[in-house]
Amino acid sequence: MSFAESSQNTTSGSLQANNKLGGTRKPVEPGQNAVKRLQTELMQLMTSPAPGVSAFPSADGNLLSWRATIEGPADTPYAGLTFKLSFEFPSNYPYAPPTVLFRTPIYHPNVDFSGRICLDILKDKWTAAYNTQTVLLSLQSLLGEPNNSSPLNGEAAELWDKDPALFKTKVMDRHKDIEDD
Amino acid sequence: MPATVASQWQDRQRRVFQSVFPIDVNHPATHPVRDSLSGTRGRRKEHIPLQSVATQPLLHPGAAVAAGDQAAYDRAWRIVTAHITLPPSATGDNSFGSLAADSQQNLQSSASAEFYEAFEVLVNANALLPGAARNDDVLSWHGRQVRAHYTQRVMPLLAACVDDGDGDGGDEGHDRRKDNHHDERHMAIVMNSIRTLEAALRLYFYGLNQLLSGFARLAHVSPEAAKDAESLNDRFRRDLHALVSNSAPAGLMRSVKAVLVRLAGTILGIPDPGMRGGRDGPNIPNPEDLKVQAARERLLQLTQQLHNVGLTGERFQTLFAEVMDAIMSEFVTGAFAGVWSPTDPRPLSAAMSLSASLSAASPCITRLSDWVENHFARLAYEVLTCISTNNPQGPLPVSLADVKMYQSLALGRLAALRIQELFDIALAWPDSRPALDDLRATITTPARRKQLTDGFSKALQKRLLHPGCSTLEILRTYISIIRTLHALDPTRVLLSSVERGLQMYLCQREDAIRVVVAGLLANPEEMQAQKEVRESSKRQREKAYQDGAGRSRRRGKVADDDPFLTTPSKPSFRTPRGTTPETPLARNPNNAASEHSKHPPKLVELALLLHEPSQNRAASPSEDAIADLDWDDMNWVPDPIDAGDGYRRPRSVDVIGTIIAALGSGDTFIKEFSIVMADRLLSDNSDNNSGGRDSAAPRFDQELRVLALLKRRFGEASLQACDVMIRDVQDSRRVDGIICRERARERERGRNLGRGGAGEDDMDYHARILSRLFWPGLDREHFLLPPEVEQQQKRYEAGYESLKSRRKLTWLNQLGRARVELELRDRTVVVDCSTVEATVIHAFQRPEGNGDDDAAAPPVQKSVDDLYMQLQMDEDLIAAALHFWAGQGVLRRVGGPGSNTYVVAESLVDETAPGSTTGAAPSDSDQPMDEEQQAAQEGDSAAPVAGGGSMSAKELERREIYWRYVQGMLTNASASMPLAQMAMMMRMLIADGFAWSNEELQDFLAEKVAAGEMEVVGGKYRLVKK
Repeated sequence: MSFAESSQNTTSGSLQANNKLGGTRKPVEPGQNAVKRLQTELMQLMTSPAPGVSAFPSADGNLLSWRATIEGPADTPYAGLTFKLSFEFPSNYPYAPPTVLFRTPIYHPNVDFSGRICLDILKDKWTAAYNTQTVLLSLQSLLGEPNNSSPLNGEAAELWDKDPALFKTKVMDRHKDIEDD
Repeated sequence: MPATVASQWQDRQRRVFQSVFPIDVNHPATHPVRDSLSGTRGRRKEHIPLQSVATQPLLHPGAAVAAGDQAAYDRAWRIVTAHITLPPSATGDNSFGSLAADSQQNLQSSASAEFYEAFEVLVNANALLPGAARNDDVLSWHGRQVRAHYTQRVMPLLAACVDDGDGDGGDEGHDRRKDNHHDERHMAIVMNSIRTLEAALRLYFYGLNQLLSGFARLAHVSPEAAKDAESLNDRFRRDLHALVSNSAPAGLMRSVKAVLVRLAGTILGIPDPGMRGGRDGPNIPNPEDLKVQAARERLLQLTQQLHNVGLTGERFQTLFAEVMDAIMSEFVTGAFAGVWSPTDPRPLSAAMSLSASLSAASPCITRLSDWVENHFARLAYEVLTCISTNNPQGPLPVSLADVKMYQSLALGRLAALRIQELFDIALAWPDSRPALDDLRATITTPARRKQLTDGFSKALQKRLLHPGCSTLEILRTYISIIRTLHALDPTRVLLSSVERGLQMYLCQREDAIRVVVAGLLANPEEMQAQKEVRESSKRQREKAYQDGAGRSRRRGKVADDDPFLTTPSKPSFRTPRGTTPETPLARNPNNAASEHSKHPPKLVELALLLHEPSQNRAASPSEDAIADLDWDDMNWVPDPIDAGDGYRRPRSVDVIGTIIAALGSGDTFIKEFSIVMADRLLSDNSDNNSGGRDSAAPRFDQELRVLALLKRRFGEASLQACDVMIRDVQDSRRVDGIICRERARERERGRNLGRGGAGEDDMDYHARILSRLFWPGLDREHFLLPPEVEQQQKRYEAGYESLKSRRKLTWLNQLGRARVELELRDRTVVVDCSTVEATVIHAFQRPEGNGDDDAAAPPVQKSVDDLYMQLQMDEDLIAAALHFWAGQGVLRRVGGPGSNTYVVAESLVDETAPGSTTGAAPSDSDQPMDEEQQAAQEGDSAAPVAGGGSMSAKELERREIYWRYVQGMLTNASASMPLAQMAMMMRMLIADGFAWSNEELQDFLAEKVAAGEMEVVGGKYRLVKK
């Protein structure tokens, strides 16, 4: 009688222990840190917004995918235009840069026709100290000061210096407000 | 109904016929008559010999000997059959019985040697008349004859019996007024049918007995024929019973059922439905009761009779089983629904023996087991024994295992009933403890546990988790639920599977944490009040219970003034069964108001719990772990099968812990707790008199206690702010005492020197010094204090700075209490109010110079705008303060309801009809006026103004942030979104939680739409493009 009970106890005890181990060993979901970080960034963006830029997670509720808006800076060919961008954050963000694309067609020396951007901080110069807001502000300044030494769009780089009027026309031709999906 | 019965009946008749006649095919005597089915039995017999003689030569043309033998055989056949033939009852009326008796006598008298001779010939036909090729079994002829007779003569009689009864009234007896009549009628139907059948069977068996006696005489000639006489008898009886029971009219079985229901009900203590009105429900019947004894006797007699006529076949047994089943259900619901405490303290010594295994069984279970064993099973045994008298050596009709099975069935039904009632049981805690014992004993399988949790969750959703219930109510019920389910299942698995929905819902209630904290911090007075309320409500309930017993105890519709519904402290009404199954928690506002006039309702239960020693023992995790590994624990049982992953066995009830855990994260709770704590510490006015030393003893026992409890739960560091807050208040008492004494000395010195500004110095002024960093919600509200107070403030500040160098005071003017004495023309008003209110009323003070020539001066009149200019105070605060003073009867609004101009009400009698004068001064110039407002400011500390100041600032900030989220979302994520999606995104994205419900967000967005910043297109919100 007592023997039976104690043996029962033993098995259950080990079971319990297994449960506990299982509980502690629960793996951290990949991207969990990135999500936390992005939530914080969003809060910062909301509490201290920068003029002319804004960003928000996409409507499908995936925090690793954001949409952003940049207003073209005054005194540039892009004044008065707004540009939509997409941010795709890797799950090891902020230790790797987000993939940023212009969704609005843009005529710019450092942006190609499918919206890809050539910007050093989005490539090899990325550090974890950057965040969404700093990236957006960098892009905003890139609109006014393109890096014509390593253009993706050679024609644009050429026209930027030679024929600002034509450049402006090309910008206006290329620009098209996109509707949301 | 009659049509289908008729068609069924015909169908059956046809089948009986078909079963009778096909076997005739190879029978010589009846062969030719197959075409004359419609002929009467008598005519057919006349024909038999003639026909058979006539046909024989055709069949056997050359066998003369055989023909002679055949003739002899046929003659013998005729004699025998004539002897046992059944009387033709052409009339078919009720004289059948007597007729049968007559024929019996006739037959008996004519039982002669002739019959036996002929019979011998027939039986030994093979030996005596080898030539008779075609012979037949006279027994089967008798059987056929009986069957035909039964179908043609008896069955119409049976149908007539039923029809006579069915002629009047409904067939099921729904009409309660006719109940007795119906019972009588059903009984009459049954008895008539039995009598008819008995007479018929007597007749049939007479014929059989004749034949059997013939066999008996032949015993010496052919022993094998006589040997099976007994089995022949049995077979005949069996066939006959099968015939009767299979062809009994449906109406008869219905009547049998009705009679069974009534008699068994009486025996088992189910009250007659017609008489239920004024008496209580089913109860265990007293075996000594004459009525019960009579019913039992009657039932057994009836069963015996039915058995004798063959009506206790499978149909009867099914019927009986159905009736018993229904009675068991009715007994369980009737006797135990809503009965959670033993109403019948009668010792059940009989039950004690059986319930050795259920030693700790609750009274209900004991009673039920007793009932099943001593009444239910007994009746079943008796009736079934009656039915199976023929084979007494067989197994007992009701074995001990069957009794156990009945008991477990009954317990299962009790469990189902209790599961249904569980919500009410939880509400009635702790009076409902016995009901929980029932449940604990009956909830034994995982399936039932599942049923319990499912049912309970549903009941919660329906009755508790809706906007009609206050958070207080929900929490209070939650406490009851915790205790109830813990009592039911100490492993808490049931609780944890039930409470998930509740917790989710509570998270939506913003005030839940506040209610809990306020409850924890309730003071002893409130506890006392709560206890009294509870007592009174209990008394009330008991009284109501006695009053309403029988009338509306379970079936009545709950009226609005039902005391069950109106006790706010303890919502203990029961679900009215049947009529309104889902009564949401509701209460009578009048009643609630009167009971809580002194104290606003609080979750005092928590404070009471806090004082319970068992609750103070918060189980530390390590302790739990050790307990799990306690090898010597002989009471150890495995974890419940439905326990989830990572389940841990709890040690104690820990109601408080459960509730706090249910309210979401610890941070939110601590934040809320420190706010409530701040409120309480500031609103404590214990040091409002000059003798500050007397009250310097800390009066925060309750707070410290709660704090200690929370520290154990959340850790020392997270509650540091609260520690600081308490120390601040205690320190500032000391500092305040020092400063005040210093100032008193100064004043004394000044008086000695002959300088005496007594007017400004007789104001008591105290302050509390708070550490800015640790107090939540301390925003400064700017307004100008009255100059007298300002002066005091300056002096105090100086005193403080001399005491603690290099520290500065920042005054939070809105957080303060003041005692104001107002000398009006006909009265003096003393009011304790907030500093904001005091400042506003001070502004109505007549300027010093004019104070004396008061006779002609009109009362002071000011509008909100005037005050705004004068005080630089927030307009909302001004409006609130004006409203406060108007409520006190000191100010009076002039210029109609829309105006915001107030005038001092110098006398209580309103000389000017309000609203008639628009801004003009009242014309009571002949009255002497004396207005002196002396504001005695006391203490710059205490409760923040409700709804003002800090809260609104916080809310504004929150709205601003949320608006940015909405803008960001609609700019980037999607240009237009429906409300639900926006709310979902906000909930997901805002790190410290989205505080609004969907409705609040909708209201907010509606404001933005109204302001032209947003628009709604196709049910989706979007920003207006600029």
